[in-house]
Amino acid sequence: MSDETGHSLKLQIDSELSNTALVAMAVRGLCTMTTLSPVEVNRVELCIVEIVNNAIEHAYDSEKGHKVEVGVDLLQSKLQFTVSDWGKSLDESKLDEKEELDVDGDNPASWLCSGRGLSIVQNLMDQIDYQSEGDKNSFIMSKQIRE
Amino acid sequence: MPFDTKNESNHLVVSVDEARLDASIAENFKDYLFNHIDQDASDMVIDLSVVRFMDSSGLGVLVSALKKMDGKSKIKLAGAQPAVLDLFHLTSMDKLFSILPTVTEAIEEK
Repeated sequence: MSDETGHSLKLQIDSELSNTALVAMAVRGLCTMTTLSPVEVNRVELCIVEIVNNAIEHAYDSEKGHKVEVGVDLLQSKLQFTVSDWGKSLDESKLDEKEELDVDGDNPASWLCSGRGLSIVQNLMDQIDYQSEGDKNSFIMSKQIRE
Repeated sequence: MPFDTKNESNHLVVSVDEARLDASIAENFKDYLFNHIDQDASDMVIDLSVVRFMDSSGLGVLVSALKKMDGKSKIKLAGAQPAVLDLFHLTSMDKLFSILPTVTEAIEEK
């Protein structure tokens, strides 16, 4: 089977943070059907939550009533997740540099209280991409799976 | 509200009765912790044994509480489950917090 002939599905929620768990749990369920380890399943769930929350909080300024779509493609060698919104697009320069998730325990000024989500995803996913087509923005991330 | 507190051996023990400590409750949790930090300078133990999932917003609340304490008191975490522990390791936040298996061990830790 080639990557192009995998299975796919789409999930959609309204832009409320309390809805993020719905897609996260659904994706988690799908991931448990693959060869991903329990730790990897947890990490994929975390990445989905971070990017969906990012869409709600930044693309839509936490305003309800907008669509967030999560597509999952179960391919032979990888899982691909596409989180789409129709709001403000992401500053793509944020994706250019992969930030290390380290902290200086002696320097409280460096202890970030927010803004860590994208770095987490950059560190956990094998590949990420961001595309804007018309008014639709899509954050695409993939994770290799063992065949 | 899925948060509760009790005083135990000069510690304020905060329990989180919610499986997901995420962005949807982060603001409420932050307000709750900040109110207690304003009222009580005791060392704090946060019981996370019920929490199965935490995102960066939940983590951010714990960091902001630690910063608010400004070194005057400690925050120790108890009962973190695998996905939560993994988040702390991934983000190196285990450098900032003592993470103990149980509330009792967290209270006894010097």
